[in-house]
Amino acid sequence: MSNVFRRAFDALLGRGDAAVTVPPMDGALQPDTRIDEAGLMAELRAPDNLVWLGGRLLCSSGGEVLVLGGADVAPRGNPVIAAGVALPSGHADIANAIHPHEAPNVYTRFDARIACLATFGDDTLVAGLDSGLLIVRGGPHDGRSIEGWGQGGKIHCPTALLMLDADTLLVSEGSTQHGPADWQHDLMEKNASGSVWRVDLRSGESICLARGLAWPNGLLAVDDGRRVRVSESWRHRIIELAADKPSTPQEVLGDLPGYPGRMTPTSDGGAWLAVFAARSQLVELVLREHGFRRDMMREIAREHWICPSLSSKNSHLEPLQRGGLKQMGILKPWAPTRSYGLVVRLDSDGNPLASRHSRADGRRHGVTSVLQAGDTVYLASQGGDAVLALPASNLPASRLPASRLPT
Amino acid sequence: MALYESFLKWRYRLIPDHLLGELLAKRWIENAIPVLSLLIALAVFQSVIPNFLSVSMATDTSRLLGEFAFVVCAMMIVMVAGGIDLSVGSNVALGNIVALYLMNVLAWPIAAMVPVVLIVCGLVGLVNGLLVGYLKLRAFLTTLVTLIIVRAIVDMLLMRHAADISAVFLDYPAWDFVGQGKVLGIPFSFLLFAVCAVAGHIFLSRTRPGWHVMAIGGSRRSAYNLGIAVPRTICATYVMSGVLCGVSAILYAARLGNAGPSTGVGMEVMALTAAVLGGNSLGGGKGSVPKAVIGAVIVLLVTDSLVRIGLLSGASSLALGLILLVAVGVDVRWLKNRHKLLAKMYVSPTYLALPPAPSTDPGSDSPYAMNNALKDVELIGLGELEGPEDMIFDRDDNLYTGSRHGDILRILAPDYKKIEVFAHIGGTPLGFAMDRDDSLVLCDAGMGLYRVATDGKFAKLTDETNRSAWSINDDSRLRLADDCDIAPDGRVFFSEATVRYEMHEWPLDALESRGNGRLICYDPRNNSTRTVLRNLVFPNGVCMAHDGQSFFFAESWACRINRYWFDGPKAGRVERVIENLPGYPDNINRASDGTYWLAIMGMRTPSLELALRRPGFRRRMARRVAQDELLFPNLNTGCVIKFDEAGRVLQSLWDSGGDNHPMITSPREHKGYLYLGGVFNNRIGRYKIPGADTSWTSQQSYWGTRS
Repeated sequence: MSNVFRRAFDALLGRGDAAVTVPPMDGALQPDTRIDEAGLMAELRAPDNLVWLGGRLLCSSGGEVLVLGGADVAPRGNPVIAAGVALPSGHADIANAIHPHEAPNVYTRFDARIACLATFGDDTLVAGLDSGLLIVRGGPHDGRSIEGWGQGGKIHCPTALLMLDADTLLVSEGSTQHGPADWQHDLMEKNASGSVWRVDLRSGESICLARGLAWPNGLLAVDDGRRVRVSESWRHRIIELAADKPSTPQEVLGDLPGYPGRMTPTSDGGAWLAVFAARSQLVELVLREHGFRRDMMREIAREHWICPSLSSKNSHLEPLQRGGLKQMGILKPWAPTRSYGLVVRLDSDGNPLASRHSRADGRRHGVTSVLQAGDTVYLASQGGDAVLALPASNLPASRLPASRLPT
Repeated sequence: MALYESFLKWRYRLIPDHLLGELLAKRWIENAIPVLSLLIALAVFQSVIPNFLSVSMATDTSRLLGEFAFVVCAMMIVMVAGGIDLSVGSNVALGNIVALYLMNVLAWPIAAMVPVVLIVCGLVGLVNGLLVGYLKLRAFLTTLVTLIIVRAIVDMLLMRHAADISAVFLDYPAWDFVGQGKVLGIPFSFLLFAVCAVAGHIFLSRTRPGWHVMAIGGSRRSAYNLGIAVPRTICATYVMSGVLCGVSAILYAARLGNAGPSTGVGMEVMALTAAVLGGNSLGGGKGSVPKAVIGAVIVLLVTDSLVRIGLLSGASSLALGLILLVAVGVDVRWLKNRHKLLAKMYVSPTYLALPPAPSTDPGSDSPYAMNNALKDVELIGLGELEGPEDMIFDRDDNLYTGSRHGDILRILAPDYKKIEVFAHIGGTPLGFAMDRDDSLVLCDAGMGLYRVATDGKFAKLTDETNRSAWSINDDSRLRLADDCDIAPDGRVFFSEATVRYEMHEWPLDALESRGNGRLICYDPRNNSTRTVLRNLVFPNGVCMAHDGQSFFFAESWACRINRYWFDGPKAGRVERVIENLPGYPDNINRASDGTYWLAIMGMRTPSLELALRRPGFRRRMARRVAQDELLFPNLNTGCVIKFDEAGRVLQSLWDSGGDNHPMITSPREHKGYLYLGGVFNNRIGRYKIPGADTSWTSQQSYWGTRS
C-alpha cells in the first residue's frame, strides 16, 4: 500500500521514480571533442557494426558489409585473442592504407538491412538482419540460417551477436514488439521484452539466458567465455549473466548518462562501450508523461519526436530546447541535444576509465560500434555517416577510474 | 479525443491559473494565511458556541486583547531583531505586583506609580539586553534564566505582601477607568493599545531605528558591516520589550487588582504562539505590529473559546502547544520554500491549438517553400554586433541598431565598416522608427519608449501606461516594449510583448502562449500613454499601413498577422490579415513596391504544437525540467516573407543551411537592399533585392522628401 501512495506522491512532486534527473557526465565521462577531431576513415551512409575478419576491418552499412581495411595490409605480431575475436596488432598500418572518400569494396550483401555482425576465426561471419534472420557466411557453418528460437518462436529483433567459440553464438534480442530499426518506438513504449539467447550452430538449438530485458543491445564475453555482459539500453546499465544457462542478471555498471550499445573487448581484459545517444531531462520527462507520449507517437512523424536519435539538426521541424538556441551565431557545446557521440573505455570490472565525445555542436553523433586494434580505436558514427580512427595511446594505463587517478 | 481537447480548451479559458503565481509573488500574501486561519477559527467557533459574535463578547475579548497584544508586541519586537524573550510572563507578574504594592500598600498616585512600574520592567529588559546584546549570550537560555529569577522574586514579594495588597480596596475612579472604563463603548485598554500599535508600526516600518532592528534580524553580520550599532540596538529591543510588559502589567493590575501566584504563568508560550502564528519569523528580520495583532487575536479567540466550550484548562494548553508547533513548522518551511514555490508556480501555460502548419518543403508549391536565397547575404559587423534586433537608416544612409548592452550603435555609410556608439540608454533596444524630425524613436525592453535626437541626446517618452482594472501584477510599468511605429499625426503605437516576463526570460512566454501582451499608444501632443488593445499573444512588429489610418502587427506565438485601424471609418477594429504562418512572425516593415516585409524569427515544430495543446505537460515541464532543457520554439531557423495588404504571401527568402545568417527578427529595406537583424545574432545581413527601386527609403515613404 505504501508503495502505491509513494508512487502517487512521487508523481505529484516529481521525486523518486518520477524524477527526471540525469547523471552528469563527470569524472571518466568528462566531455571532450576528440570524436570530432578523429581522423576520417571512410564516409559511408549509416555505418553500423565494425568487425575484424581475417585481418580486415569490415563495416555494415544498409544491406552491405564493406571492407574498410585493405586485404593487402598483413597484420604483424601476435594477434590478441579475446573471446573468439581476433584483434591483430599494429593496425596503424591499416589506418594508413585506407584512404577516405574512396568507395570501399563490398565484402558481401544481404537482402535486408544488417542489424548486427559477429565474426570468428578468419572466415566465419554471422549477420543478424532487420527481418529477424540470422545468417552465417563462411567457416564450418557456412550457409546456415536461423529464423526462430526453436520452442521460443520467431526472432524479431537481433541487436548484437557474439561468437563464444566456433559453434556457439550469443544473440541479444532487443524486443519482441519492434525490429532493430524501430528502437525509438520501443523506448517510447517503455517496453522490456528483450532477451539473450545462446544458439548452438551445429544443432540449431537455443537456450534463453535471460528475459524481460529493456532492449539488450551489446554483448561482451568475460571470464573466458563463462559469463557474458549485456548492455541494457533502456535501463542505462550493463548487466552480467551466465553464458551457458539461465541466470538472474547482476548489475555491473548502472546509472549511465546515455543509452549503452555494443561492447568490444580490449587486450587488457577491459572493453569499449558505444553509447549511441545521451539521456536528457526532457526525454526522461516525456517517458513519464504517458498521455503526451501516446499522442506524440500517434500524431507526429518519428523523426520529429522528442526522443533520442542517432543524428539531429536535419530539419527545422525537430524539437529544440532552450539551451540549443544559437546565441551570437554559436551553438553551445553543452546545449541539450537529441543526438550525441560517446564511447567509453571500461576496465575489466566494467568501471569507466575514459571516454571520447562528440558534443552538441559536433556532427559525429550516434556511435553504434567501436573497435580497438593495437593503438588505434575505430568508431562507426552512424548519425554522422563516417567511420573514424582515434589513437588509443593516451588512455590511462591504470585500472583506476580516471577520476581517482592521482594528478 | 475531440471531447478531451474541448475540455482542456474551456478549462484553461475559464480558470486563470496564472493569477496564482502572481498572487504568490505579492509580499502581502504572507499575511493572508494568518488572516485566513483567523476567519476559519471565527467560523468554527461561531457555529459551535452560541452568541459567539455578540457585542458584549466582543467588548470582553477586546479588553483582554489590549492587555495581551502588548505582551505579543513585546515578544515581536525582540523576535524581529533575531532574538526571543521568554521572560515576558514573569515580567508582567513582577510589574503587576509592583503596581499593586505601590497603589495599595504605599498608596502612591497613579501618575507616580506608572513610571516606576515601567522602569522596573524596563530594568528586567535591560538585564536581558545587556546579557544578550553586549555579552552575546544565547537569547533563549538567558531569558529562560531571567524568567525563573524574576518569577522567584515575584514569589518572594508575594509571600511578604500578598496579604497587605488584598487587605485594601481601592476606590479611585481613574484606576477603575484604566481597568474597566470605556470610551465610546470601546475598552480603554484596547484603545491604548490601538494608539500604541499605530505608533509602533510607524516606528518599525518608517523610522531609522526601526529599520535598524529589521536589518539586524535580517542579517546580523551585514547590519554590523553597514555600521549599525548591533549590540546597542539589540539591547534596546529587550528594554522596549520590558517596558511593553510593564504597560500590560498595569492594565492587568487595574482590571483584576489581584496579586495571585498564577499571574503571567504560561504567558510567554501564548505570546510566542501568537507572534509566530501572525507570521513573525522566528529567524528574525520579518515581522510587524499587524502580524502580532492578528496572531494575538487568533490565540485569544482559541484559548477563550476552548474554555467556553468547556474543555479542561489542560486541554486548552495542549491545543495552544499544537498550534505553536504547526505555526513554527509552517514558518520554517514557508521561509525556506517560498521562492522555490514561486519559481515553480509562476510559469502557467494555457491551451493553444494552431491549425497544422503549412508546408515548407523545398519541392512544394507553397509560398513558404524553402530556398537558399539568403545563403550569400553580405554580413555587416560580424562578431562586433550583439543582438541587433531591428535597424533603421537616416537620410545619409547611416544605419542605426541596438545591442544587448543597451547601446544605440551607428554604422556609417557607405561601406558599413565603422561602428560607433551613438547613445547609451541601457535596457535592450529592440524596435526602431524614425520620426518626422529624423529623430529615432525606439522601444527599449526594460526601459520603455525612448527618443534619440540627431545629436545623440535621448529622452524618455514614456515608461508606463494605465493599469488594467483587474490585474494582480502591477502592469502599469512597461516591461518588454518591443516594436513601435509612428502615425502621420505623430502618435507612437508600440507593442509590449508580455506583461509577465522580463527581457532575459521572454522565450518563457512562448511556453505559456497566453495573451499576455498589449498594444499601447503614446500621444506626444498631450504626453499621454493609453493601452489600446489587450490580451494579445506576444504582439510584435508594428508597421504603419500606407493608408495612414491603420497598422499591421504580428502575434508571434499565435503565428498570425493582424491589422488595427486607429483612424478613419473602421477606427477601433482589428482584422486578421494572415492566419497560420509556418513560424513565429516578428517585425514587419514597408517594402518599396507598396507591400510589406515580415521576419519569421523561428519555425514551428510538431512536438511543441502538440505541447501547446497539452498545458498540463508544459506546466510539469516548467516545474521539473531545468531551464536550459525546456522545449522551445525553433528559433535557430527563420526566413523573410513578403505580403500585401490583402494578406497574400508573395515571396519567401530562406537561408536553409542557417550557417551564414541564422535567426532573423527584422527585415528593413533601404535603397534596393534588404537588411536583416536578429536578436540572438552577431551580425546584420544585407541582401540585394532583385529589381527593387534603388532610391526608395523608408524615411521618404513615411515623411516624404525633406524640403
